[in-house]
Amino acid sequence: MFTKEKTIFAYTVEKCNKCNLERKRKFQIGDVLFTETSKCDSCNGITVIEKIFGETIGK
Amino acid sequence: MDFTNIDFDQLFGLNDETNPIMMLIWIVPIIIFVFYGQRIQLAITSGEIKKGIKKLEDYKTQSRNELIDYIKKNMNPKDDPTKKIDRFLDYFTIMPVDMDPNGIVSKVRHIVRAREDYSREHVKLLSPQTSDLELTKIQTLLEIATSLQMIYKVINHLYLTAKKQNNYPLILPLQMILPFILEEAEAMHKAIPAFKMGQPIGDGIGPMVVGKMMLDTKKESIAFQTVLSEIQYDGRKLFLLKAEGPGSTVGRPGDAVESIISKNKPDIIIMVDAALKMEGEESATIAQGFGAAIGGIGTERFQIEDIATKNNIPIFAIVIKQSVKEAITLMTKEIADKADNVRLQIYEMIHDNTKSGQSVLLIGVGNTMGVPQ
Repeated sequence: MFTKEKTIFAYTVEKCNKCNLERKRKFQIGDVLFTETSKCDSCNGITVIEKIFGETIGK
Repeated sequence: MDFTNIDFDQLFGLNDETNPIMMLIWIVPIIIFVFYGQRIQLAITSGEIKKGIKKLEDYKTQSRNELIDYIKKNMNPKDDPTKKIDRFLDYFTIMPVDMDPNGIVSKVRHIVRAREDYSREHVKLLSPQTSDLELTKIQTLLEIATSLQMIYKVINHLYLTAKKQNNYPLILPLQMILPFILEEAEAMHKAIPAFKMGQPIGDGIGPMVVGKMMLDTKKESIAFQTVLSEIQYDGRKLFLLKAEGPGSTVGRPGDAVESIISKNKPDIIIMVDAALKMEGEESATIAQGFGAAIGGIGTERFQIEDIATKNNIPIFAIVIKQSVKEAITLMTKEIADKADNVRLQIYEMIHDNTKSGQSVLLIGVGNTMGVPQ
């Protein structure tokens, strides 16, 4: 009755191999670890999916 | 009115031994509890267990429905798969006789693999054009649904038997074990979305660490759903082994180790795996140890231990502690953040236990869902 309902949100962390800039965004279907995703915002490098994880948020 | 002067003896008639009403008030409940105590306890306990069984039934039904929906959506089968899936869910496995344990491991391995092969082939028959990746996901979802169905059936059977016999002692072990069963069932139920969406699970930390080391290397299939690659590290040759991702599989590391050692004998074996944490232990802590770090039914571990012993190869282990729920649901941030630290500990372990020119077999153990190489 008193336990909080918890929701898990999935996130994807992209990392630029050139400048090491990391960007966290919501997970999208089709995201797979270690795959190249897009161009880096700060340099011309390519970002790669470094991590996919879930974070719990209590309601 | 003065409440401090109440005489309890007088109020309850304790000094008056002839008061028949007071005698009844004290004696009747005692008689009721002597003769019907167990039944009353059975009724109270039954209520709690019933709630647990209802949860198990919901998990069972939901996992079945989600599996059928997923198959309909992603496999586009010609016919309605419901009947076939319901038949799969009722499949059982008869473990070999263990009166004479000699040779039982190979018998267990044979039975388990035959079951896996059978279900894989028959799921594929629903729609032969389905990709291997989808097939591994569906096979895992089928395993989850089958396990939840089996758990529900067994617990419900024990409960109904105790109720039928009006036997309180029979319901006690069920009451004790139910919270643990519910925890596992809830974890399995919550694992479904991660497998449907192809996300890495907590158990995938071993393959994730080794998979990253395998990037941009030449990979070869060494055993069923298991890949191997070779890299050089500080004068040492590293054989990297993991299940073939990003499908949902643990591969066959036992067969792979046997095959590798028959060609190139490594000087040490390092196994990286997720391990169950104890209550009170912090999640995502890393621990080092000795011996084959691999879970499952035990056949793979037996095979690896056997071949390592015959060839006198020491086995080192690095484990990442987590709960049952964390191991089979979407990987938590805490676990994912430890990947780099684990990799550093692997390199340190290699330095400490080998010399330049020697070779190491590094195995990333676990389900490689969402983790390529």
